[in-house]
Amino acid sequence: MRGKFLKVAVAATATAMLATACGSGSSDAGDAGGTLRVYASEPAYLLPSNGNDQPSLFVIRQLYRGLVKYNAETGDPEMDLAESIESDDQKLWTIKLKDGYTFDNGEPVDADAFIRSWNFAAYAPNAQNNGSFMKRIAGIDAVQPEDPDGEGPKEAPEPTAETLSGLKKVDDLTFTVELGEPFTGFPIVVGYPGFSPMAQACLDDTDACNETPIGNGPYKIDGSWKRDVEINLVKSDSWNGEPGKPGAINYRIFADENSAYSAFQAGELDVMYTIPAARFDEAKASYGDRLYEQASGSLNYVGLPLYDEAFKDKRIRQAISMAIDRESIAEAVFDGRWTPATGFVAPTFQGAREGACTYCKKDVEAAKKLLEEAGGWPEGKKLTLWANAGAGHDAWLQAVGDQVKSALGIDYELKVNLQFAEYLDKADQREFDGPFRLGWGPDYPYLETYLTPVYGTGAKSNNTTFSNAEFDDLLKQGDSAPNTEAAISFYQQAEDVLAEEMPVIPMFWRKEAAIYSENVDNFVWNKVADADYGATSLK
Amino acid sequence: MGRYVIRRLLQFIPTVLGTMFLLHYMTSLAIQFSGNPVRAIFGDRTPPPALLQSITERLGYGDPCLEQKGNPCFGLFFDRVSGVFLHFDFGIDLREQEVTELVANAIPHTLKLLVIAIVFEAVVGIAAGVWAGLRGGSFADNLVKISTVFVISVPIFVLGVVVREFVGVKFGNIVREQEWLPDVVAYGFFSPGFKPDYPFASLLIPGMVLGSVALATTARLTRTSMMENIRADFVRTARAKGLANKRVIGVHTLRNSLIPVITYLGVDIGSAMAGAVVTETIFNVPGIGRLVTAAAREGESSVVIGVVTMLVLVVLLANLLVDLLYAVLDPRIRYE
Repeated sequence: MRGKFLKVAVAATATAMLATACGSGSSDAGDAGGTLRVYASEPAYLLPSNGNDQPSLFVIRQLYRGLVKYNAETGDPEMDLAESIESDDQKLWTIKLKDGYTFDNGEPVDADAFIRSWNFAAYAPNAQNNGSFMKRIAGIDAVQPEDPDGEGPKEAPEPTAETLSGLKKVDDLTFTVELGEPFTGFPIVVGYPGFSPMAQACLDDTDACNETPIGNGPYKIDGSWKRDVEINLVKSDSWNGEPGKPGAINYRIFADENSAYSAFQAGELDVMYTIPAARFDEAKASYGDRLYEQASGSLNYVGLPLYDEAFKDKRIRQAISMAIDRESIAEAVFDGRWTPATGFVAPTFQGAREGACTYCKKDVEAAKKLLEEAGGWPEGKKLTLWANAGAGHDAWLQAVGDQVKSALGIDYELKVNLQFAEYLDKADQREFDGPFRLGWGPDYPYLETYLTPVYGTGAKSNNTTFSNAEFDDLLKQGDSAPNTEAAISFYQQAEDVLAEEMPVIPMFWRKEAAIYSENVDNFVWNKVADADYGATSLK
Repeated sequence: MGRYVIRRLLQFIPTVLGTMFLLHYMTSLAIQFSGNPVRAIFGDRTPPPALLQSITERLGYGDPCLEQKGNPCFGLFFDRVSGVFLHFDFGIDLREQEVTELVANAIPHTLKLLVIAIVFEAVVGIAAGVWAGLRGGSFADNLVKISTVFVISVPIFVLGVVVREFVGVKFGNIVREQEWLPDVVAYGFFSPGFKPDYPFASLLIPGMVLGSVALATTARLTRTSMMENIRADFVRTARAKGLANKRVIGVHTLRNSLIPVITYLGVDIGSAMAGAVVTETIFNVPGIGRLVTAAAREGESSVVIGVVTMLVLVVLLANLLVDLLYAVLDPRIRYE
């Protein structure tokens, strides 16, 4: 019997060993620059016109390159594929391209490559997520028609044109873009990956191009997108610009941050651009200076429903904002990982001013006085605070409610049971009856991205229905200013209007945190594009 | 026998349709009450209505009944059923991937995991059961009894996380410093989760975790069964005949003791699939379990309905096979 048991044990071990031996596959290809192994979650799309979520953009940014790129330190736009982007009236832009760039399949990166890509993204029936970025180009109404009754997504009319009338080719390396309205920031906006060029072969079969991208950037895909497992990029021979640092980039796809953190601890990853909130202190203790923290441009705000009678008086809005002590909430609820907001534009942006929001400082006496001047809060009416469920917003919102109650004596109730989709729908339909939490992140590194889309009259994401003629006028002047410096001063004046009117109460700026391994020599975090894997070098 | 199988197969139809309708109704209610999941993709950025509409329709959430609370959406259900059974079309997920393709990508990983789990629990479980069963009341018996109680009483999500953190990360980091060990052991086997470079070795520990609960049951089942049979008349007869001990235990006792164990292992395939949902998420295995978890979290009705329908079919077939095997193992059972 003993002999038999031993035999079984030996056989089992042998089978296991044999099986493991079969399983071992590729070893590290030791090409120049090494392989950078990074954390990723499953991208939604690898087509630049369709991928708008962070995991997609991290891959697309290495595969595709656009007209401009952003400086890692300052966030300023620098010419990448464009030779020049110029305009006399800020409305008709002439774009000249550098010669000698090609896609991985040999097609040239010329004026047609940009025009076809932007037309494809804009055409509504193509249902591309980045289609809305083309909204400033002339002729957008014909390819992306508006809802005529303005009552939400019931029946949108058929588009009357397939291409944007504002895009015109001059010669192979020159094209002009006519905007619907003048916009000084146009050369900055086109650095967003949604404006990348696409090869004709890619548009002929977008499904295939999504799985095996035909890029024009410093890296190309090795094999194809291994869904839910990994994406491998290697240096592209066709790239003519500044080469990437690592020889290859391996994106390991995780469904859960905690299992990714374990993999990082086990030395299987070189960069993780996010840290599970519960492990942050531990990561800080164990990785010290290899933990990188950077204030991000992601704002959390409390919007006020201006369509509700109770919030029509700006003094009431100012009073509520002054009743809140952002510092203590950030410290108590987020361990200081979020920064209190003192303005409407991210502090990392050019033209942002510390303390632009004068009513964002706690001052209970002044708040009480303002409320009194406005005629007080309706007797017995509760302040309803809204947030979406399951995203951890209830804790800080409750702190806000408590502070308002103790400062102004306004009783509050929390409504935090709506799922995100339903919550957003309520926001779109303007159905909130009290302050509501929402967020905003920049689309491009230009402070206008915090103003027009959120507070402009009739803007789609203007959930407060704020409408102010002076504000709109200042934005317009900023948009058509001759240069960005002049434009910024107009935008700052517009921000001052917001600070007086307080349609929303700015609350916090989120912070990004990344960790990297000992193999990494120089970790590069681009102020606009976040972790830049192509610029990160290995030891 | 043939008629029995046909009858059982016919019973599949209401079961599968009933499951599908239940899932369809629950996911439809979720959309009716908590909003269009396509809107959530855009987050804080309100999309242009034309774009939202065309994406909603493309992803299959355009049916107007999904806006009427409580409507069972029979029309949509019939579309789905006929899509699945007539065209083998299970729909697409929010990223426009075919559900059949998602499953095809995921199933090899889950199968490997299940095979590892079943082999592990069968080999180790039966060996431990025999070892304990032959020495009732001894140290070996108590060791097996106590350790199996431990394993049974720890929920799999606790066991999984503990193993990942301590075996994969802490102990694994010590192992990886030992230069003499082959890479497949240090970087594959002791990886704290699935690793594409070592697609089999890195699945061994997750598979063992998945098999551990059933292992404990298998060991106890074998032990009891061995103890019972070793006192049976036919074993005494075999000994009286003067057969060698090896043959008495190996052929006469063990083979007869294995009947309940094999039945249990067959049925366990179904519950192992449920365990895979947890294990695959903890160890980042890109299999069916992780797929279903993620789909349920994001409210992707087509993925949930498609995958769970397939799983129901697998469990039904496995149960039918076990029932038929019963007759093979025990000739007294007849199916008419």
